[in-house]
Amino acid sequence: MVSEEIWALIEIFVFPGFFFLFFLAFFTEWLDRKIVAKFQNRYGPLYVGPKGILQPIADFIKLLSKEDITPSMADKIPFSLMPILLLTLAITPLFCIPMIGSDALISFEGDLIVIMFIMSLIALLVFISGWASTNRFSSIGSIRAGLQMFAYEIPMNLAMIGPAISAGSLSVSTIVDWQIRGVWNIFIQPIGFAVLTICLMAHLQKVPFDIPEAESEIVSGWIVEFSGKKLALIRLAKDFEFVLASSLIVSLFLGGPYGPWYISPITYLAKFLLCVLMLSNLRAAFARYRIDHLLAGAWKYLTPLVLLQICLIKVLGV
Amino acid sequence: MSFEIPFGPQHPALEEPINFMLEIEEERVVSVKPRLGYVHRGIEKIAESRNYQQLVYLSERICGICSFAHALCYSQTVEELLDLEVPERAKFIRTIIAEMERIQNHYLWLGLTAKEMGFETLFMYAWRDRERIIEMLDMISGKRVNYGMSTIGGVRRDITDSMVERIEESLKHLETRAEYYTKVCTKDPSILKRTVGVGILRPREARALCAVGPTARASGIARDIRADEPYAAYGEISFRVVTYRGCDVASRMYVRIDEIKESIRIIRYALKNMPEGPIRVKAPIKVPEGEAISRVEAPRGENLHFLKSNGSIKPERWKIRPPTLANLLSLCRMLIGVNLADVPVVIAGIDPCIACAERIALVDVKTKKREVWDGKDLWRYANEWYRKRYGL
Amino acid sequence: MAMEDDMFRNLKEKPITLQFPYERREPVEGIRAKVSWDIEKCIGCRLCVMICPGNAIQLIGKGRQAEIKYHVGRCIFCGECVDVCPTKSIYVTKEFELVFNNRRGMIIHFRRKKRKKTHSD
Repeated sequence: MVSEEIWALIEIFVFPGFFFLFFLAFFTEWLDRKIVAKFQNRYGPLYVGPKGILQPIADFIKLLSKEDITPSMADKIPFSLMPILLLTLAITPLFCIPMIGSDALISFEGDLIVIMFIMSLIALLVFISGWASTNRFSSIGSIRAGLQMFAYEIPMNLAMIGPAISAGSLSVSTIVDWQIRGVWNIFIQPIGFAVLTICLMAHLQKVPFDIPEAESEIVSGWIVEFSGKKLALIRLAKDFEFVLASSLIVSLFLGGPYGPWYISPITYLAKFLLCVLMLSNLRAAFARYRIDHLLAGAWKYLTPLVLLQICLIKVLGV
Repeated sequence: MSFEIPFGPQHPALEEPINFMLEIEEERVVSVKPRLGYVHRGIEKIAESRNYQQLVYLSERICGICSFAHALCYSQTVEELLDLEVPERAKFIRTIIAEMERIQNHYLWLGLTAKEMGFETLFMYAWRDRERIIEMLDMISGKRVNYGMSTIGGVRRDITDSMVERIEESLKHLETRAEYYTKVCTKDPSILKRTVGVGILRPREARALCAVGPTARASGIARDIRADEPYAAYGEISFRVVTYRGCDVASRMYVRIDEIKESIRIIRYALKNMPEGPIRVKAPIKVPEGEAISRVEAPRGENLHFLKSNGSIKPERWKIRPPTLANLLSLCRMLIGVNLADVPVVIAGIDPCIACAERIALVDVKTKKREVWDGKDLWRYANEWYRKRYGL
Repeated sequence: MAMEDDMFRNLKEKPITLQFPYERREPVEGIRAKVSWDIEKCIGCRLCVMICPGNAIQLIGKGRQAEIKYHVGRCIFCGECVDVCPTKSIYVTKEFELVFNNRRGMIIHFRRKKRKKTHSD
């Protein structure tokens, strides 16, 4: 029927498709900045729009209008391609997360594996973009990004597999369904929840793990040579990754868009906001760790903990 | 594969321009080459064309944060040349302002080191608490930096009784906050991981390289001008010289936080026991011939001023040896073997004030001849050097 | 981790940032700000010109007819001229927000009121 196709187009482009996701990304950045500012006893964005809510959009538009400089020694094709790829790869997994109802826009058996693969690919693209810039600081930043990937990749993937083993399926929508019929995963797999949160902070490169782009040491690390439109796209990609991380936590551990209220997008947004609040709190409360601390800590504590969690799932039979 | 990374002169971690050429091998620093000179202002040259009273204000502006220490040291040097006895009340007021400046400096340092470690929240909190002490200095002297309080022969403004109450309130608040920061810095795991064992300076090296201030006191050397050679009212106030034996950045942090508490104690004692009397004596404009040296414990270490006068109203030579210049050699020794990620933390650990440290004098070691260069000579030398090096 | 309790306490408090220029802090009693002249009291003794560390005061004329040119851009707001003036014709204002549009605006000329000469026949 014609109206079905129009309905599908609306779903893809407006809600919960592109338009909604762009709005959510900007809103999440504003919320993160405001929460961190509140913790630090200051205002955060204030003037652009009511309470500064349009500040991220203003930043984005300002960056689009700035001069775009490519260093003469940089590898031109990867250098120009990486920001676009980062943005595309950051948006794609969001279509697999259910936001209204228990079925996402795209759901098939194995989409959890695709999400994990795309997240690893993003880490690889960070490495390539730093390397292609051929700048001392960005080379160090990209080496650190690669090392960081070694640290958090395995615990993160294992922590995401935990709910999949319980639900018996590799599709995010099925996992959400399983949680609704039973109990939320956070109550039966708390260790996995904690490990996933820590590893997602490392994936998002937020303090205490913002080592590849440590501002006070290597002047923005792998981002240092990007300017103008490329920088705007990279920052937008980071916002989308934040949305993706919070959405993953909500879907895999907090029961997705179902809960005490019957209107599902509002439940989803409420849980999403809770996740953003938690991640921003962690960001404001720590100093930055060194790369060897992260590597040692991840292999000594995170990986054994998550393996213990998986054994517990099998043993307790949940 | 060894990189050569230039740290500075433009860098988000530094407030003032200084350049260190670090040679890095696998994320560890192998050698350091410092370069000063980016913020040289020719203060010692300006001094030859101003009279002694005007130079008090110039000495304040050598550094924005330790400004009173420089003004005090200079005033004391001129008073020694004039053989002038400063009234007792003025000495106590000088002590109070010097200790307030120490508190202000140490809170600022705490915030900056936290920022280098990526801990923005602690940075914001420390600077918010610093506002309380700056308000007190503002109330007493009328300005937030470069107070204009010290003058040759005493101080320019008095501390009235109504001010004493408000100062006591602020001190109580600051003491609570200092206790809180001690708790945070000894318990927070991320701060401990970043500062313990980083930037080690053994006591033997500290003594050999003439480290001063909290940098030396964190290596166990109890060197403090306030106790070794008391000036102003320090001879009548008993206080503890804070030392720690850790020799790393964490010890420097604990030394400074404990010094805040000691300073609060000193201010309380001085406010309670301040004698009555004049705050200023008149000083003659012409200074008799002679040379004098004065040393003061600035918040960063030992500050030294040397004045040579020839009997007129303008000095002949003024030499300043600020604490950061003395700590620079220790810094270069500390940086070797440190991770690249810890370089800003270690540099911030000695509390660098590069604006203080810009003094150039050339000594030819072989012939033991001293010469002073002016702008033309530097320009000529720079051109020749670059031509030779790059074959232009 | 150790700062959590303080951070949550700060969530309830108002931010300490002052939204300048809508919220301002009052200048303190003894603020060292721009100085100004009561030119009728000036006797032209040149003490302020000699003492100023920044050479910000220029005296035009002699004695009781002297006029003052004050270069705000060179002033370091030390207050020495206020202390040294024998007739107390210099006083400190509370203006510290000093912004000018051009360099000429930074020189303030304190003129004397010209007295009308009465013709005596």
